[in-house]
Amino acid sequence: MFKILTIPNSIDEINKTSNLADGFIIGIKDMSVNVNFYIDIKGLEILNTISNKEIFIALNKNMNNSDMKLVEEILKKLNNYNIKGVLFYDVGVLNIYRKLNLNYDLVWAEEHATTNYNTINFFNSFNVKYTYISSDITLDEIKSIKSNTNSLLMVNLFGYLPMFVSKRHIVKNYLEYFNLKDNSNTNYIEKEGKTYPIIDNNIGTMVYSNNILNGIKACLDVDLDYIILNSFNIELDKFIKVLKMFKSVNKNNVDEYYNEINGMFSNVDCGFLNTETIYRVKKND
Amino acid sequence: MIKPELLAPAGDLERLKIALKYGADAVYIGGPSLNLRANAINFTIDEIKEGVKFAHKLNKKVYVTVNILLHNQELDSITNYLKELESAKVDAIIVSDPVIIKEALSNTNLEVHLSTQASTLNIEAAKFWKSVGVSRIVLARECTREDIKEIIDNVDVEIETFIHGAMCAGYSGRCVMSNFLTNRDANRGGCSQICRWDFNLLSETKEEIKGDKPFTFSSKDLSMLKYIPEMIDMGISSFKIEGRMRSLYYIATVVSIYRKVIDEYCNDKKSYTYNKEYEKILRRCANRDSVPQFFDGVYNSSCSYYNGRIEVSNQDFLGIVLSYDKDSHIATIEQRNYFKKGDLVEIFGPNHDTITYKIDEIIDEDNNIIDIVRHPKQVVKIKVDNVLEVDDMIKVKYM
Repeated sequence: MFKILTIPNSIDEINKTSNLADGFIIGIKDMSVNVNFYIDIKGLEILNTISNKEIFIALNKNMNNSDMKLVEEILKKLNNYNIKGVLFYDVGVLNIYRKLNLNYDLVWAEEHATTNYNTINFFNSFNVKYTYISSDITLDEIKSIKSNTNSLLMVNLFGYLPMFVSKRHIVKNYLEYFNLKDNSNTNYIEKEGKTYPIIDNNIGTMVYSNNILNGIKACLDVDLDYIILNSFNIELDKFIKVLKMFKSVNKNNVDEYYNEINGMFSNVDCGFLNTETIYRVKKND
Repeated sequence: MIKPELLAPAGDLERLKIALKYGADAVYIGGPSLNLRANAINFTIDEIKEGVKFAHKLNKKVYVTVNILLHNQELDSITNYLKELESAKVDAIIVSDPVIIKEALSNTNLEVHLSTQASTLNIEAAKFWKSVGVSRIVLARECTREDIKEIIDNVDVEIETFIHGAMCAGYSGRCVMSNFLTNRDANRGGCSQICRWDFNLLSETKEEIKGDKPFTFSSKDLSMLKYIPEMIDMGISSFKIEGRMRSLYYIATVVSIYRKVIDEYCNDKKSYTYNKEYEKILRRCANRDSVPQFFDGVYNSSCSYYNGRIEVSNQDFLGIVLSYDKDSHIATIEQRNYFKKGDLVEIFGPNHDTITYKIDEIIDEDNNIIDIVRHPKQVVKIKVDNVLEVDDMIKVKYM
């Protein structure tokens, strides 16, 4: 049976959902992307207030050389806390981790690259215990990965999905260039009636999907180790309802829950779980 | 001082030959599968063999991109494909998925270069990839000069950096907007360049924030022309030009300019001066403005490109020399853009200085004298006193 991790928005949300979630994915200020709640390196003590939960720390931005000293410091400091693992994107984090004797494990979280079992096994051979599976692959592909790896798999099954990360300040640049004023924390970009959340913060720019993924059916279709529910841009009371459904889903209620979630939001889909992307539009002659 | 390799893109055999003739030391190409330009024409294995033979005769190299992120269904086909590339005698493969690195090093003698898709930005990441067995790392375009220098100083691996061409708006490998908006997989060669689209920008309360031009992710292009001497001194092994889908003329122009700058600096460092004329030529042949981007740590709005999708279609390329008769001084030209009698043009090639020439008599294939060459790929003859060579190019003379 899977465990439920959430990507929460605040410590308050952690407290309000701790009876439902098995753990949380939390960011470190200026070192993490695609998470919603960041703690300061000087304020790691807050982790001690989250008891009996599996805590994963996202250290998953792309790292320049100037970041690496801090990466090492964070990895060492985290060893003093009861955390389960660290999510990494940049293999520089893995390389530092290998030199240190740390109590927690690593999660390969190169979010769009975790697409096949052999590459997952490659990182597994470097003692990377967990893999955060790409949101761009189908359920069948996830099943095949599960059958061919010992890595513990985490799969995002609810929420807006990350689809873009840049070092550039794309919103700020636009505002500055055209002398516009706006203080939104989250903006949106709109195209053909669809809106996509866009966040421009200290690290750069992140864009999320237009639709909220409703993957509740998938969690019964494949034997996953962890499922991830992301509360980004979702009202807390609705998120808690969804969380309750994932917590109690079974063969008898899955269709009802699936429809109920679809009814709660106007923009829901199954992401790529049942849709294969194409990449060759025209073939060579 | 080590003279860096000049590495050019080539979308087909014709462009491969032009790139090498115009001064590239090596070219990178896409093979029949597993590369990130799935919608380009790409090379068959036989064409790769022919390209490699052509390059090796000139003592130059051919690298093949095998840089998609693999899905389960491709895993079984990798080894055979890599063996085919090995038998084609390619000089290296450019890879981002570690499984391909592992397969290549275990089952072939192929040299492996790590693609920029891996977004390598720091010493620790470079050390990791070196330990896995790659011989060269194509650094992320987000590297600053300090990042590049520190990696070169601390990791014994060849370093390749981009010097010219289009830029992704996001980190390579970390943008799947194409997947979500068009169902085309960006990391498997299907990128539909959503970053060039216009969007409406909305506030938190979903009110439109409207500038004089629409919101876009679009970035200006990269040009490192001014920084080439500094980059040579830093010890970068290979300078890469972006653009496997670029035209013959673009490749010839960009390659020849960078060839000149590299040679001028390496041949006589003390008397080297920056040639603004080169900058002007590169600017003319691009369809977007270009800037140095992340190298000097500036990636503000000066790097953004707010020009809608109005990109200038370059009409400068007038024709290519098919043959030249030294006795009669008659050049046979294949037309690429409209030109006429009386036009002042320039003829450039890999082995001579640029010639300024006024189009005089034009003779068509039926030996009629004509005044205007207006048909695409029309073959005509003109008399040019200077000796020309096959593949020399005729372009508009900038005023």
